[in-house]
Amino acid sequence: MDMLTTLAQADLPAAMAPATLAHYLFLSAAMFAIGLIGFLTRRNLIVMFLCTELMFQAAGIALIAFSRFHMEQTGQTFVIFVLTVAAAEAALALALVVLLFRRRDSLDAEQWSEMKG
Amino acid sequence: MTEIVSPYLLFIGLLIAGIGVAVAIPRRRVNPQAIGAVIAGGGLGLVLLSLALTNPDAIPNLHFYVFGVIALGSSLRVITHPRPVYAALFFILTILSSCGLYVILAAEFLAFALVIIYAGAILITYLFVIMLATQAPSEDRIEVLAEYDVAGREPVFAVTASFVLLGALTALLFTGSATLESDAAPGDEAARSMAVMELMPGKAERLLREQGAIGKKDMVVKVHAAEGVAEVQTSEALTTVPLPEGVEPTNVELVGFDLLAEHPGTIEIAGIILLMAMVGATVLARRQSELEDEAKRRASEAIAARGGLTADAVIADTDGEAG
Repeated sequence: MDMLTTLAQADLPAAMAPATLAHYLFLSAAMFAIGLIGFLTRRNLIVMFLCTELMFQAAGIALIAFSRFHMEQTGQTFVIFVLTVAAAEAALALALVVLLFRRRDSLDAEQWSEMKG
Repeated sequence: MTEIVSPYLLFIGLLIAGIGVAVAIPRRRVNPQAIGAVIAGGGLGLVLLSLALTNPDAIPNLHFYVFGVIALGSSLRVITHPRPVYAALFFILTILSSCGLYVILAAEFLAFALVIIYAGAILITYLFVIMLATQAPSEDRIEVLAEYDVAGREPVFAVTASFVLLGALTALLFTGSATLESDAAPGDEAARSMAVMELMPGKAERLLREQGAIGKKDMVVKVHAAEGVAEVQTSEALTTVPLPEGVEPTNVELVGFDLLAEHPGTIEIAGIILLMAMVGATVLARRQSELEDEAKRRASEAIAARGGLTADAVIADTDGEAG
């Protein structure tokens, strides 16, 4: 009964090499950067919130990769909480978007540019 | 040698990818999105190549590249597609391919949870809001798009800022990955899963009963994972039975025990966050007409106070007039 082979999903090596981890971290960082670009450039409110979800997703990949690297479950547990926050954020943000759309009949973020802090 | 070459290869790759992304962002007149996407893909490919060259012994398996390319390509399409509905659909594709990555990384439970929660629930909500909050195209010009969807704002600035951030983050990977040591000794993981196994005497009992090793009325009292035996209380005496095959904890059980044993307070906080989001969304999305009803009620109360009638009588009166 080789417990480690069972846990390491058959043909995967028991512990991930740091260089393999680097690939996943680069993928996660690139996805985060793409989400950030989208958030800064797009003017549609809904697409802007989609881009924040993209950034959440990138953080999730990094957490799962670290969880695999250190062979423990805390990273996966944290992704569950990331999912919770993403769901709460989607509910609130979309309610706000519907409210803003009713006021101006437009999803353009620039419409609200007079709201300066 | 590789440590000197790779960061420059990385920066060149990121520069090319940045130019590609800047070209691919939607703008008003000339819009060569496909060319931009190809350039961006080439740049990111160069970076992945330089990562693979840094340490050729430890490249990930082929599936990583398949899912990674789909994930990055569709996330690029999320931010460049002028129609929000298509952007949301491409985001679902991003989610599905990152689920593939989760499966490679031995996180099956979260891969399924992600498909159900993200692709199934959150994105459908997004699609509904997009359908609610987008003007229908006029009959004579079906292909017309809203101005704010076709023209990005400050693409060059945004791409520069994001790719400088990405370069700084990933340059650390090259220099720092040598010192990045996994603290997971093989023994650690085995010990942890054994500890979880000892918390599950019910599972051992069920498996032993299925395999006929113990009788119907026998009970597993305690699991000694280190010795590989289970203490069984039979009707006569306390005996030990070797643990059955397949009693090792699965991914779901490991995540579940980690969630409930290590982070019980965080679950409570997550519950409060969800409750607050639900209440907040309900309050925000409430129809304006309810406020008008409230104003009507206050006005009728004022009339009632003057005329000596009760508020309900005034409402009944006005309702009768209306009917």
